[in-house]
Amino acid sequence: MSFDLSLILESLPLMLAGIGITLKLLLVSGFLGLILAVALLLMRISGKFYLDWPAQAYIYVFRGTPILVQIFIIYYGLPQFEAVRDSIFWHILREPTGCAIVALTLNTGAYVSEILRGGVLGVDRGLLEAGSALGMSARHKFVYITTPIATRLSLPAYSNDVISLLKSTALASTITIADMTGIARTIVADTYAPYEIFISLAIVYMIFTLGLQKLFGVIERYLGRYTRRDG
Amino acid sequence: MDSMTDTETRPLIKMIKVNKFFGPFQALKNIDLEVYKGEKIVICGPSGSGKSTLIRCINRLEEHNDGNIIIDGIELTDKVEDIDAVRREVGMVFQSFNLFPHMTIAKNLMIAQQLVRKTPKAKAREIAMLYLERVKIPEQADKYPIQLSGGQQQRVAIARALCMRPEIILFDEPTSALDPEMINEVLDVMIDLARDGMTMVCVTHEMGFARSVADRVIFMDAGEIVEQAEPAEFFDNPENERTKVFLNQILSH
Amino acid sequence: MEVLTGWWDDYFWGAVIVAKVFIASLSLMILFGLIGAGAKLSNSRVAQKIAGAYTVIFRGTPEILVILLLYFGSAILLTSIAQIFNPEIKFVDVPPFWAGTIAISIIVGSYATETFRGAFLGVNPGSIEAARALGMSTLQTFIYIRIPEMWRIALPPFGNHMLSLIKDTALISIIGLNETLFVAKQAITVTGKPFTMYIVVGAIYLGFSSVITLAVMAIEKFGNRTTIDAK
Ligand SMILES: Nc1ncnc2c1ncn2[C@@H]1O[C@H](COP(=O)(O)OP(=O)(O)O)[C@@H](O)[C@H]1O
Ligand SMILES: [Mg+2]
Repeated sequence: MSFDLSLILESLPLMLAGIGITLKLLLVSGFLGLILAVALLLMRISGKFYLDWPAQAYIYVFRGTPILVQIFIIYYGLPQFEAVRDSIFWHILREPTGCAIVALTLNTGAYVSEILRGGVLGVDRGLLEAGSALGMSARHKFVYITTPIATRLSLPAYSNDVISLLKSTALASTITIADMTGIARTIVADTYAPYEIFISLAIVYMIFTLGLQKLFGVIERYLGRYTRRDG
Repeated sequence: MDSMTDTETRPLIKMIKVNKFFGPFQALKNIDLEVYKGEKIVICGPSGSGKSTLIRCINRLEEHNDGNIIIDGIELTDKVEDIDAVRREVGMVFQSFNLFPHMTIAKNLMIAQQLVRKTPKAKAREIAMLYLERVKIPEQADKYPIQLSGGQQQRVAIARALCMRPEIILFDEPTSALDPEMINEVLDVMIDLARDGMTMVCVTHEMGFARSVADRVIFMDAGEIVEQAEPAEFFDNPENERTKVFLNQILSH
Repeated sequence: MEVLTGWWDDYFWGAVIVAKVFIASLSLMILFGLIGAGAKLSNSRVAQKIAGAYTVIFRGTPEILVILLLYFGSAILLTSIAQIFNPEIKFVDVPPFWAGTIAISIIVGSYATETFRGAFLGVNPGSIEAARALGMSTLQTFIYIRIPEMWRIALPPFGNHMLSLIKDTALISIIGLNETLFVAKQAITVTGKPFTMYIVVGAIYLGFSSVITLAVMAIEKFGNRTTIDAK
């Protein structure tokens, strides 16, 4: 066996053509997942059992099962029902990309809501008491005290979850999507050169990961500016 | 005017037979207390005797279980509007400052004015600067709390409470978390406030402050008010055995 | 459910394979994690660098790429080695069980590396000194003080690593391991009921996750009890 450098140079542009889809999966489900996570968080801290319990059950199920199974249930499973095929969601769910985005969103939402809850629970109670003593309402305290501080506290864990999400987008290749991994798998099937193709693709993902880490590092430093004496 | 005479004869704080439980544990037992406008009350007593719980009931950070608490004519119940009304009248200063770490000093002083009092931003800033002058740190306005010393942070916390123009200020051991060299700068601000006629309820073990400023000193033990008297009487002639023991302990330092 | 009749035993054996992969990969994961942590804590610059690269690489690469690379890559490698001895050999088959098990334990082991390292560094130096001052030997200190305290610090993240492992077993179906997801695929071709078949898979994984979560909670409780007793 040998390591074929020219094959890498040939294939890399092909794989990079899938960057758009990988990024789309990451950004769209990252954004929607964050909204879902906030909704789940609000349900969990509402203090109302009929909101809290369903949210807990949701989180339990989606964190307790493999994302690949979730993708298959949504992509292969849902069309089993005529009601789904007749529904307004069908034009999303008939497309593999739509299904991948739905699955990734539902999955990351469950994880991120727990991360955010950790942040909320980490907010010093004394600050909320100070807010109460100043006459601030529950909503004001949540918006002006809890939210900014919880955001800072949950950011490190959140950035790890975004990286997990990036890695999970590669599973879209299992439902025929031609993201970077999907294209790579096709090339390997043709050339039978797994080393060259998969390793160079892994490097591409790692560069993405490092980029995300850098980006979150900058945000963390900005949000944490008030925690350092030197400003 | 009727209301005028009312405020002069009616106590600002009135607690009648207040009991407070944490689960089975009774933290306050039959507390009766009246505080009139302009009065300065010092509460002392051993750790765990219920001092914090008592003053935290006054602005409803804790809910009492029975008895009545009436603040400037408003009885504290579950009614949210009443609680809000009381909190607008009652400022509080905590042992651990509790400044909002993510806001500048000026913003710490402005935020509640803007949200609760609906004061426009420019006006809120003006008021904030006024009180920062008063606690003698206007130059720190645009820093974050962590950049200030403990004494400075506590002075900011006092200014923050004053910005809401409260009728009453509650202090819960405001100097206990401070390095010794910073205690006086905070006490000076409090003495200054007292001279201005503010109604103050202070939990503190600064006996010098109590002697020179308080109208009444209250001694608590095991959830009860054991003794209350004018400072001279309280320090020189304590009646209760428990008070004597306590005073001996803290004055011997 | 009627469509499931006749498939229960297949699912059962699929679940047995999941359990086998889990146990095998758990042992390997601990091994990789300990080696990685040992290297990071060692005085050797080279070992530190290698371990550092190990964690960066496997935290930044999608799991599915690692599995595919290990599966196809090792097949090619073994084939070319075999051909040295016997040029007649066309292809050496690598069992998906081992390729997948090793792949997921390498991946999760990179996370465990940080967990073990953190646990080692998290031990309060005061309690080590105190133990020495009481006349305990180095070995006694290690066994009675350091190990229990490390265990207490590492257990919660370690529980998460176990959950990652169990969920990652689903990915091994991609290279043809006949675990539950693979069973479902076969059942679907026969019955045409994808939703039902994948939901069963989800339920099985949820069961595994629940058992692991409960076990970790029980161990945590037990551990806390002994530390309280010790005080
Ligand atoms: N949130 C709470 N839950 C349970 N017990 C409490 C709580 N807050 C205070 N206590 C108990 O009530 C008693 C009085 O507390 P506190 O008012 O803080 O005392 P002090 O301020 O005089 O030191 C203490 O025994 C304390 O342990
Ligand atoms: Mg107290």
